[in-house]
Amino acid sequence: MKELRRILSKRRLLIGFVLILLLNGFLFAREQYENNFGLDVEISGGSLVFVDGSFISAQESVDAKAAYQRYMSWLDRVKDMPPEQAAELLEKEKSSLSSKIGYETAAEDDRLDYVAVKNLLAQTEYLTGYGDWLENIQRNKENLLTFSIFNDSKSFSGRNIIKTADEFKKLENVNLTLGADGAINSFMSFSLTDYFLTLLLILIAFSFLEERKAGLWSVVHAAPNGRLKLALRRTLILFLSSVCGVVLLYGTDLIIGFYFYGSIDSLGRAVQSVKILGKLPMISSVGGFLVNYFILRIAAAFLISLILWLMLTVINNVKYTIIVTAGILAAEYGLYTFLPVQSAFNILKYFNLYTYISLSDLYTNYLNIDIFTYPLGIRSISQFSLIPLCLILAAVCIYIHCHKKPASGRDLLGKIAYRINSVTDKLLRRLNLMGMELHKTLWIQKGIVIIILLSFAAVKLPYTIKIPITSLAEQAASKYTAQFAGEITDSTVALINEEQNRLDDILTSYENAKTAYENGEIEYPELDKYNREASSAQINAEGLSKVLERIEELKNFSAEHGFTPWLIDETPFESVYGSRAQNNQQQAALLAVLALTLLLAGSLTYERQSGMTYLLRSTPQGRGALIFRKLTLAALMTTLVWGVVYGMELYTLITNFEITAWNASSRNLSMLAEFPLNCPVTVWLVLLYIYRWLCLFCGAIIVLFISDLLRRPEAAYIAAAGVMLLPSLLYTYMGIEIFRPLSVILPVEAMPLLNAHSGAVSEALIRGGALVGIAVMIVVKFFVSTNGIKRKRA
Amino acid sequence: MKLELINLTKKYGNFIALDNINITFTEGIYGILGANGAGKSTMMNLLTDNITRTEGQILFDGTDILKLGKDFRLNLGYMPQQQGYYEHMTAQTFLSYMADLKAIPKRQAKAEIEKLLEITNLSDVRHKKLGGYSGGMKQRVLLAQALLGDPKVVILDEPTAGLDPKERIRIRNFISSMSRGRIILLATHIVSDIESISDKILMMKHGCLVGVDTPLGLLESVADKVKELPCDPNDLEHMQEQYKVGNVFRRQGETWVRIVGDELPDEGRFVSDYLSLEDVYLYYLGE
Repeated sequence: MKELRRILSKRRLLIGFVLILLLNGFLFAREQYENNFGLDVEISGGSLVFVDGSFISAQESVDAKAAYQRYMSWLDRVKDMPPEQAAELLEKEKSSLSSKIGYETAAEDDRLDYVAVKNLLAQTEYLTGYGDWLENIQRNKENLLTFSIFNDSKSFSGRNIIKTADEFKKLENVNLTLGADGAINSFMSFSLTDYFLTLLLILIAFSFLEERKAGLWSVVHAAPNGRLKLALRRTLILFLSSVCGVVLLYGTDLIIGFYFYGSIDSLGRAVQSVKILGKLPMISSVGGFLVNYFILRIAAAFLISLILWLMLTVINNVKYTIIVTAGILAAEYGLYTFLPVQSAFNILKYFNLYTYISLSDLYTNYLNIDIFTYPLGIRSISQFSLIPLCLILAAVCIYIHCHKKPASGRDLLGKIAYRINSVTDKLLRRLNLMGMELHKTLWIQKGIVIIILLSFAAVKLPYTIKIPITSLAEQAASKYTAQFAGEITDSTVALINEEQNRLDDILTSYENAKTAYENGEIEYPELDKYNREASSAQINAEGLSKVLERIEELKNFSAEHGFTPWLIDETPFESVYGSRAQNNQQQAALLAVLALTLLLAGSLTYERQSGMTYLLRSTPQGRGALIFRKLTLAALMTTLVWGVVYGMELYTLITNFEITAWNASSRNLSMLAEFPLNCPVTVWLVLLYIYRWLCLFCGAIIVLFISDLLRRPEAAYIAAAGVMLLPSLLYTYMGIEIFRPLSVILPVEAMPLLNAHSGAVSEALIRGGALVGIAVMIVVKFFVSTNGIKRKRA
Repeated sequence: MKLELINLTKKYGNFIALDNINITFTEGIYGILGANGAGKSTMMNLLTDNITRTEGQILFDGTDILKLGKDFRLNLGYMPQQQGYYEHMTAQTFLSYMADLKAIPKRQAKAEIEKLLEITNLSDVRHKKLGGYSGGMKQRVLLAQALLGDPKVVILDEPTAGLDPKERIRIRNFISSMSRGRIILLATHIVSDIESISDKILMMKHGCLVGVDTPLGLLESVADKVKELPCDPNDLEHMQEQYKVGNVFRRQGETWVRIVGDELPDEGRFVSDYLSLEDVYLYYLGE
């Protein structure tokens, strides 16, 4: 089929498909890690922590992957038991483990088991409670119908109560069993795949517009096979694309899900065994449900693609077609998201394009809407209308394709655009050459979209990590550090001694109270009060002694290296810049490099693709000056990206923590003890961010260089991403060591500067120096080749 | 003002694209005629310093243009053969941008753009994006940009390609009117474009200059080289193998051919009173 071959031969489209597939798989896998493999890994009620004068339960968490392995082994033990028996056993285990993990000495194995059992118990409780939940629906029906406002069986409310009860009644005999639900849960919850599929369908539908863009519409329309046959072929292509898109995208999710969560053998369980599908009034196994889901997904995707094709076909002008399509999609999204459920127009919310995009919601929620006082399930409406809608839309699309005249129609939008252009022309005329470079990058090459997405992503990035509490004494030490933070002087030591005396007094009081109790002078409750205070004082004393140790250490170290010792609460710095925050630093660097790559990879390629190279070179400002402008552009874009990403990081540091040690020497921080420069914390931060800017700017220059080498923008974007991101991803996320030297994000994240242990700063300088060296060579090459010493082929 | 090409040679490996060209241009319009691949565009690219010369010099008022660099380009207006433009810009913005690239002050640029849009008949569509222009409209925008900044040297590579006859005449007349005080080099393989406006015509073949003269001089040089004779349509192929055949036309029910060359058949009659540059082209450049 030549039309299919034409579409598949479009490199841009194929690259789009592959990127969508890879990105979907990557993000799905990442989501599982971020969601702790679907487990609640927090241990509340674990070890006690002393905070503000009292003990509270520490919020601790365990390694999610290890906990999931434990979960699976516990599941193997109980899955063949009746749920009630399993719940009983798990409850006992949970109590036993709970008492063990109440002490600091609790083994990690116990913590893992606790998390596994806790999650499995919650799952079991759902199964054991499902029968009651069903009975409750029937009871509610009886109860509600006794109220006058509901007992009118001709009203929507009455009919809805009866319908709901009837639908769930058929589930009464369903046998729910335990199994690993992770794969299905993650499959049903990962909504990004829905949007990736829509994007893929948009790309396919847009490929039908190619003949219009190329001015071939009239030729195609005049050809014998350019109408009905072509329309039928395109309908078939949309259907095949829907099948392939659904199978590949959702298939990937499911395969990754089963790889992570296992239990592919539990597909024979009743679908309601999976909590997320508990409200689905359909008798089916999990496997049967999946088959049903995939079929409906394909039909929904086909419907979406037909709607897109219809929207794109109706208007002649390609650009306005895109604007109108985007407008309709936005309006539908608005209705789907913001229209209240109770609204009289809620049919527009549910009978909506996005209902078919977010198909999972139909299966995870149960809802009937009021259609002329009759309750109709949103799932039923959407499902049963799918096939007729597909057929009608396919017929309409084919009809329009055959009868739409290429030369017909008044270009009303064109006139509006002309007016808008006349205004923008006036503004653009005032711009200088640099302004025009910015206009080209931000507006023509859609850099503004990248910046909006970057800002969105930057806001979502985690910049801090939770510093885990390792012991009660550490907690107390941290509290005292915050209390006594500041320059270490005699008065600091005096204050600490004063506190020490106070604690000693409490301990002495306890000893006295013990004697008094033994002598029968006081009752047990009073002794217990002393006991509690003494326990607290003991922990505080341990914490205080740690602070004193640190003070001594700092005094000696500062005397040795000639700086003023400060006691600094290091939590903010550890939380943002510490070695444990490396993942955050990597993500921020990766985002910054990605944004720069996308902003600049097309910059010089665009000149070449536009055929402007000869013309530019014939003008006085089109050679060295052009390169200078491009480099300035790179600097501006670097500053923008750096400002957004690292501005957010700095903002997080300043707003989340109260830092008073800005003027203290950076060497007072443990992580910077070996930093070679004796400078205040502020200066260290300035140096750090300048270093990052420089590394990013050098990266931007490399992207420009790649852009200059290639003729096609897509090739430039791929090559730039390959050079700037691939080695970093392979090293960072897959641990392939040979890519370490090529990883651009390592100098940008600047971890050696952040954790300046022995030799690390030199490593940072070598890394940064290498990047700067490459950038300088590129700049020299740019100017040499443009100023005539060695003219490049235009 | 003069622009001298001295021993100008361009080689791509063993292929000689331009072979030892020596010529001096002074004020006026120079039509450069040659078939595709004759070396016209190579010469243009050397003049605009878009490719590296292999040998020779290009002097503008006695100084090599490489040495002049930006100072030469301030005096240069160039319209390349391949259409280069930003399709997302309107004609107005594109011309403003090009004016900035040519370091023309904003006020002067505004006036010049107005005038050039008028001349190129683009005033009414100035706010339309170039991507939506027809081929001829794009050609006119490119011509307008070449003329921005009152350049002393104007290099136009196929300026009228894609234009309709009315536009061709309009543009041709405009080029003619602006020739005073300028060197205009106009490369084309469309003879009629330069026939009436060129002060001199350069005939190029296989990278060499095979003739340089005024249009009249060139016409005179082929005065006894052109004949018309009746021809049996069946013999036309044979005739084309033997001679350089120009027009084939019908006259009084017979098929006639116009042939050009040094050795012509005895039959037929010489054409000396209505010679055209097409005959010249055929004589010098025909294969």
